[in-house]
Amino acid sequence: MSSAETSTSPARGRIVWVLLCVGAVLASCGDAGSGDSDALVMYTTVTQETVDAVVAAFQEANPDGEIEVFRAPTGEVTARIAAELRNGELGADILWLTDPLSIQQYEADGLLRQWTPEEAESVPAEYRTETFFGTRILNMVIIAGEGEQVSDWSGLPDLGSVAIPDPSFAGSAFGALAYFALDPAYGLDFYRDLRSNGAVQVNSPGDVVSGVAEGIYRAGMTLDFSARAAIADGSPVQLIWPESGGIAIYSPIAIVDSSGSALAEDFVNLVLSAEGQSAIAATGWQPIRSDVSWEHGGPQVTVNWSRAFDRQEELLDDYRSLFES
Amino acid sequence: MSRRWDLKWVALTLLVGTLLVVLVLWPIGELIAVAIEQYGLEGADAERARQSAVNTLAVGLLVAVVAGSLGALGALVTERTAVPGKAWLRVGILLPILIPPFVSALSWTRAYGPGGLTDDLLGVSADGLFGLFGVVAVVAVNAVPLSYLLTVAALNSRVESDVERAARISGASPASTLGTITVPLLAPALAGIGALGFVLGINAFGVPAVLGSPVGFRTVTTLIYEDLALSARPEAFRRAILLATGLVVAAVTFVIVAEVLLRSVGTAPRSAAGSGPQLAKVRPRWGVAALAWAFVATTSILPLVALGLVALTRGVGLPPVPENLTFANFAEALDGRLLGALLRSVGLALLAATVGILLGAGVAALRKRRFGGVFGVVVLMTFAVPGSTLAVAMILAHGRLLRDTLLIILAAYVAKLWAVGHRAIAGSAENVAPHLYLAARSSGASSFSAVRTILVPMLRPALAGGWVLIFLIAFHEVTMSSLLYGPGTETLAVAVLNLQQLGDVPVSSALAVILTVPLLLVAIPLLTSSRIPRRFLGTG
Repeated sequence: MSSAETSTSPARGRIVWVLLCVGAVLASCGDAGSGDSDALVMYTTVTQETVDAVVAAFQEANPDGEIEVFRAPTGEVTARIAAELRNGELGADILWLTDPLSIQQYEADGLLRQWTPEEAESVPAEYRTETFFGTRILNMVIIAGEGEQVSDWSGLPDLGSVAIPDPSFAGSAFGALAYFALDPAYGLDFYRDLRSNGAVQVNSPGDVVSGVAEGIYRAGMTLDFSARAAIADGSPVQLIWPESGGIAIYSPIAIVDSSGSALAEDFVNLVLSAEGQSAIAATGWQPIRSDVSWEHGGPQVTVNWSRAFDRQEELLDDYRSLFES
Repeated sequence: MSRRWDLKWVALTLLVGTLLVVLVLWPIGELIAVAIEQYGLEGADAERARQSAVNTLAVGLLVAVVAGSLGALGALVTERTAVPGKAWLRVGILLPILIPPFVSALSWTRAYGPGGLTDDLLGVSADGLFGLFGVVAVVAVNAVPLSYLLTVAALNSRVESDVERAARISGASPASTLGTITVPLLAPALAGIGALGFVLGINAFGVPAVLGSPVGFRTVTTLIYEDLALSARPEAFRRAILLATGLVVAAVTFVIVAEVLLRSVGTAPRSAAGSGPQLAKVRPRWGVAALAWAFVATTSILPLVALGLVALTRGVGLPPVPENLTFANFAEALDGRLLGALLRSVGLALLAATVGILLGAGVAALRKRRFGGVFGVVVLMTFAVPGSTLAVAMILAHGRLLRDTLLIILAAYVAKLWAVGHRAIAGSAENVAPHLYLAARSSGASSFSAVRTILVPMLRPALAGGWVLIFLIAFHEVTMSSLLYGPGTETLAVAVLNLQQLGDVPVSSALAVILTVPLLLVAIPLLTSSRIPRRFLGTG
């Protein structure tokens, strides 16, 4: 037993206070601005680098504007929104998501504001509605190991060990599901074939890239952005643009109708402007505006989004019964 | 005794009581109320819930058996065998305490998974890593330190080495001494340790999230996470609540069982000769040492090395040869936003440790007062409640006011971890001889100032040990943080989990290394000076 030292309680008491203060400071310094009710709040599924670039451009143009971002994959953002609606009110001012299907439900529920941004005309008509507007285009393409030969979607099941992303986790995967399921040339049989030949569902398009790069799968379905980034890092993979076309998915941005923020419309205008679009292109995504330069690309196929929206639940249930038995 | 001092005890009781109600009783009560209201799942939802419950039970039982046996084996090796380098071996066995379980899972995939280190070097990889086998293996490995410490404490307190020596002197071989004396005396403790292993198994979240979810092997905890954090369907929310309630009932039951079985561990008088019957001039057992070190290397060291190599590799799928090595992943991992997560984790852990120790000390101080018994029960309940359940309960009780703040995360940490502080202190307090305290009281000190000036300084090692343990657990905590975080309140562990889910292998590995290695480097010297573990156990 240690000898009982003469009273050290003042010294120890001081240490405790110091620790408490340091802890409080550290804990709150990451939290700066979250208590600020004037801050613009955005829930987004866009990749972090792109969000940072656009937010930086916004803050340069609006030095007094505070913006707070919650960035997470589609499943998490929609869960958060559902939880907030359950508790009463949506905390976001702006929603910037990855695919039109996830945002269409909020439009149907009347949560989004109808308005016309300054640059609305620069967004092709098929990529906008009265409440949400496309900001960039994601292309689902094929990624394959270095020696593999495949030229189109129809060749994918023959490769056997193929990875596809989870539609309930990633909006882009949901878009691909909508395209294949609704196209008479493919239908759900496409997924049935994939499954029976040994295809595996992984979480995100990023997991598809990792899996193919590590040699676990021969090929997979992923975003052109992710494939290009891996190739730039030196991973032993190749990006194969399908002959019939990459599946074009557009990334919508919308303002929540109950938002009281004066800056929300400024932010959306910035995202749709040439400046915002250049920032998006610089981080690796295809801009929605044709007047902003973009050198990658290829033939594209589009999805019938309104039909897909009507049959969302059904599509997901059918898919799940195939892949999650 | 004058009235003024009585008031201090009353004030302390009220303060501690209020905190416990707000942090623990109210949330759990609300959870059970809502669950009863919403009882009833249908169809595919119920099927998934049932499957996850079966998986969870399987994990719990297997972890109990595996971790219990390995921990006991380790204790017998270090306490009853003449292995060389005992102090270092103890550190090796205790290593998993310093590694967050989900980082351990990540590192195993980088070491033994498809595309991992053994795949690159030897062409073999563990196919069963994803799924039940991998989940049980990693959770059990992470539970071994606790099992080991408790078995050592049991060996030192319940198994009187005099009896073992008597047997050996009478001619029994080491093996039959083990079988007829040591193990039977250890049996109740082993059962209690097994029960705790079961609870650890059913509460595990990070490991099944990394090794189970990708192949559809869901446990109750990961299903709760999916229902709350990844799904917008109202049925999912209901299912999460029901699962959380079921989990807490199972956990509390088994912790009570463990508590009863382990009550005598660590409190019986120790034999004066210290550790077991090692006669002089015994041959050092190199073979046993080699096996033990092989175990430590395979389960802790090699995976960490693999994790580090992946963190240093330029791109995914490239072999970790010198031309592919870079620090770029670390640079990306430490950019502004993630640096904020690191600071937040440190701050929250500091606060949680300090408040948790104070609260634990408060309850320990009150154990002999009027409501001591009640507080004791509340301690048990908090200790048992799984992180997933507590997070759901916090959302229900305090979500309206505190949602998305750091305060709700801090409250969850304190609610879960103060029992750790309490156990550290109460365990040591039992062993403090009362004569100094009684001398102070009979010289005129009030009970309050006697506690403050006599007991508290004597308990400093326990206070320090408890503080460090709470800090570590809070820093690495991912189960509750992943359910409670919001814009601007992401912790470091959650950042790693999110990056892992996005499939960003290099940067998530770099961040996992940042989460783990600095603490490892600080803690290993502390553990090697063998004072801390012994004091913490009260084996002195």
